[in-house]
Amino acid sequence: MPAPIQSPLERRYARLGLLLIAPTVLIFCAVIIYPLVSAIYLSLFRVFTPTLESSWVGLSNYRELLASGVFWKALWNTLIWTAGTLTLQIVLGIGMALVLHQNIWFRSLARSLILFPYFISTVVAVLVWKWVFNDLYGILNHLLMRGGIIDMPIDYLGSMPNAMISVILVGAWKYFPFVVIAVLARLQTIPEPLYEAARIDGAGPIARFFDVTLPQLRDVLVVIIMLRAIWDFKEFDLIWLLTGGGPSSSTETLPIVVYRQAFALNQMGMAAAWAVSMMAILLVFMIVYIRRTREKETA
Amino acid sequence: MANVDFRAVTKSFGAFTALHGLDLSIKSGEFVALLGPSGCGKTTTLRMLAGLEFPTTGDIIIGDRRVNDLAPGERDIAMVFQSYALYPHMTVAENMAYPLKKRGVPKADRGPMVAKTAEMLHLTALLDRKPKQLSGGQQQRVALGRALIRDPKVFLLDEPLSNLDAKLRSQLRAELIELHRRLGRTMVYVTHDQLEAMTMADRIAIMEGGNLQQFAPPAEVYARPANRFVAGFIGTPGMTLIDGALVQDQGRWLFEGDGLRLDVPALVAGASAGPAAFGIRPEDVHIGRGDLQGEIVLTEATGHETIVTVALSAAVRVVARVPGTPSLRIGERVPVGLDAACAHIFAAGPHGVRLNHPSGAAGADETDNIAAPLRVASKGVVS
Repeated sequence: MPAPIQSPLERRYARLGLLLIAPTVLIFCAVIIYPLVSAIYLSLFRVFTPTLESSWVGLSNYRELLASGVFWKALWNTLIWTAGTLTLQIVLGIGMALVLHQNIWFRSLARSLILFPYFISTVVAVLVWKWVFNDLYGILNHLLMRGGIIDMPIDYLGSMPNAMISVILVGAWKYFPFVVIAVLARLQTIPEPLYEAARIDGAGPIARFFDVTLPQLRDVLVVIIMLRAIWDFKEFDLIWLLTGGGPSSSTETLPIVVYRQAFALNQMGMAAAWAVSMMAILLVFMIVYIRRTREKETA
Repeated sequence: MANVDFRAVTKSFGAFTALHGLDLSIKSGEFVALLGPSGCGKTTTLRMLAGLEFPTTGDIIIGDRRVNDLAPGERDIAMVFQSYALYPHMTVAENMAYPLKKRGVPKADRGPMVAKTAEMLHLTALLDRKPKQLSGGQQQRVALGRALIRDPKVFLLDEPLSNLDAKLRSQLRAELIELHRRLGRTMVYVTHDQLEAMTMADRIAIMEGGNLQQFAPPAEVYARPANRFVAGFIGTPGMTLIDGALVQDQGRWLFEGDGLRLDVPALVAGASAGPAAFGIRPEDVHIGRGDLQGEIVLTEATGHETIVTVALSAAVRVVARVPGTPSLRIGERVPVGLDAACAHIFAAGPHGVRLNHPSGAAGADETDNIAAPLRVASKGVVS
């Protein structure tokens, strides 16, 4: 609890403070709180999207959703996609950051180029990757067959588990630069004497990575993993454009189902119920993230 | 325990040469301070000994082994860094045990070794703390502990006290002297603080511009600086240096400069008339007696003594050290005496070599004999 405000000056400052944050609070309410409450409210109705004709159904949307296998299948897909692509992003990101931290002659150029996948529009990236993966004309199959590694073209996006693997790979390619930049920034602040002390203490390169670098990266990695986990969990455009959730529903993640419910099946109420359920799951990530950052502040 | 030898070691960074053919022989068990201003090459020297930099030419020997091609971890050395360089995620105990762990000491043996070292450094109560929960002095002791625990051949210390406040510094200085006396290990200590070098080292290597200027015990460095640079660098307040010339007058050597005509002490064989510098330490300047006249321009009382600056002429000012707080007024004219027997004569130029014998010694070869008593005396006058 803050100490009770005493002096007139403090009271004046407090009034000014309220005045200054008021616009932010109003905007926050308008664009975050109101839509959130509306979504929850909407999820209690059966709504026909084109006409917005609605009827109160209470929690029956949720009952239906939890009872259907589709929800659990989509949740499972989402978890596989998130875990797979996030792991690759972290591993690739740390590896590339370590390479770019070395004093190599093309460092500055490489540091700018590495951001390319992150900056490029998802639509463009997916178009390119679809061509790369194309089973008839794709360069990947062409090169693999030329190299004698495969005899027959592989269907990367139209069969399982290839489709999920492809989506995970493209996701990792698209988003690992974020990890590179964040890790690289932290790497540059690790004091050099720590490495020198470790060398004198007899630590080789691998021991130096695990005993000096990784512990120093821990804090930034926690933040990166939390943020990327949230962003990957609700990733829509990349998967939608690459596979559309297919083949059949094998790469159908929660955001894709929400989209389908709302605009393909025209069930806006049901879509809201899916979205709210998804948010409830994300809330777990958010609470962990907030806890972590609060710990940092008090530490 | 081992001796350390630098043999014609040169270090260049691109076009810049940080060290010009260093020859330095450190005896086994000796405490040597590398002293000099910033950029003199002292840290480069230490880092090459540690294996963190590689000599451009020359050999570095530890014990009887040439270590040029050995990694830092293979040289059997330990180093204490200016920034302490403690592993932030490890506890004090883990920090100290780390070099043991990396050298394959079994876990069961590490505990007692950590406990023993911690006790020696008064760290026992702090073993479970993380470095950031410790004060600067405590962190430095942990860094020392990490170095001591392994009992290496040579200890390297890179300005270990410079991040501490004055009181802690003097306390840890005493602890380090005590530690060296007890362990008898070879220690190489880099510092820019002459007080640390003078009080702790058996011998001081004074460096400047990548060259070794003098390598001698503290008392000798103070009483018999090898050249003008060392003379000006050692001692607080510094030696007064007057530029002029050596002249011979009826078989007697005199120093002439800025209207002064001064007696000079016995010169070394081969000294000739010509440009030279006359140096005198503040304790060898007497106020109130003597055959010169001067005007007091500044007094700085520190309680137990007063540093008095006297103008002998428009261009020449000498600094005197007077015990207590005498009543001297600025602008007052007083007799001033320069103790010719204690004067230092240097050849011209910033690194002009010494041209006279040390005070009280008949010849250059006998300086080792006078070093010990003088060293005790010098501790009282350096501050």
